Amino acid sequence: MMKTLTTAMMTSIFEVMETMFYLPVEFGETPATLIQSGMDNLKPMGCQLEFTGDFSGCFTLLIPNELLVEMTENFMGESKENLGDEHLAGTLTETLNMICGNALSQIKSKKPFGLDIPKVIDEPGISKIQMFTIIETPQSMMAININMA
Amino acid sequence: MSYSILIVDDSLPMRSVIKRTLKTAGYAGSKFHDAANGKEALDLLKNRWIDMVMTDYNMPVMNGLELILAIKKEEILKDIPVVVISTEGNAAKIKEFMDSGAAGYITKPFTPETIRDLIIKFLGETSYDEDPDDSDDDFDF
Repeated sequence: MMKTLTTAMMTSIFEVMETMFYLPVEFGETPATLIQSGMDNLKPMGCQLEFTGDFSGCFTLLIPNELLVEMTENFMGESKENLGDEHLAGTLTETLNMICGNALSQIKSKKPFGLDIPKVIDEPGISKIQMFTIIETPQSMMAININMA
Repeated sequence: MSYSILIVDDSLPMRSVIKRTLKTAGYAGSKFHDAANGKEALDLLKNRWIDMVMTDYNMPVMNGLELILAIKKEEILKDIPVVVISTEGNAAKIKEFMDSGAAGYITKPFTPETIRDLIIKFLGETSYDEDPDDSDDDFDF
């Protein structure tokens, strides 16, 4: 099931990033920790979204501030001078919401999955050994992880 | 033709994106209102004339499905078309929305064309080309 969900998640990331943020993406060849990928140096903002259904779990998404600003500019059509923390946090949580909802809707299930409200998290709280799928954009990268309950 | 459109989503950027999409789709002359959840939307609906509601599903306090059911219970509000814009793409979930009285359903991520094609069904074509910056919105950015 993890492989099916990961595949659905990657398809969803392509669609969300290109449709809503006009950013092409590529995936790292193998999962990596934040230190291995160099994400720890980029001081990413993070958020989590729990889901329940035939199986349950939690998505974690980390995006460096610089990339988040670029995404928010593209998303809202506003220049960075007009953007505040609420806009950046809103883009971060909405991105994960779209990725998660879109991915889970591709999974065959007996009943619809339930999504919680995405929550902004403190990046230092992430384990140093936690493995992430790395998503590369033309200028930066972000990381995503699925943790099954 | 100018319309009054209520956008309900707990994400401030998403509210802004939907508003911008509607403006580029030809509804720049409309008046836009926004609410961060179903309860805020209901309070606003009781005090303002609204031609159409576009709502997210997954929101705190009162979600989009609860909002639709509350609107359909009110005699004065029940005929306002409500379009759901949500990440929930499961067919059973979409059927639940439509059975509850939703006029249409759009899954996120969406393209401007998807929104435009659906809105035209309810509000009709518009060629209003007022400068969006001149519109008199009651909208948080």
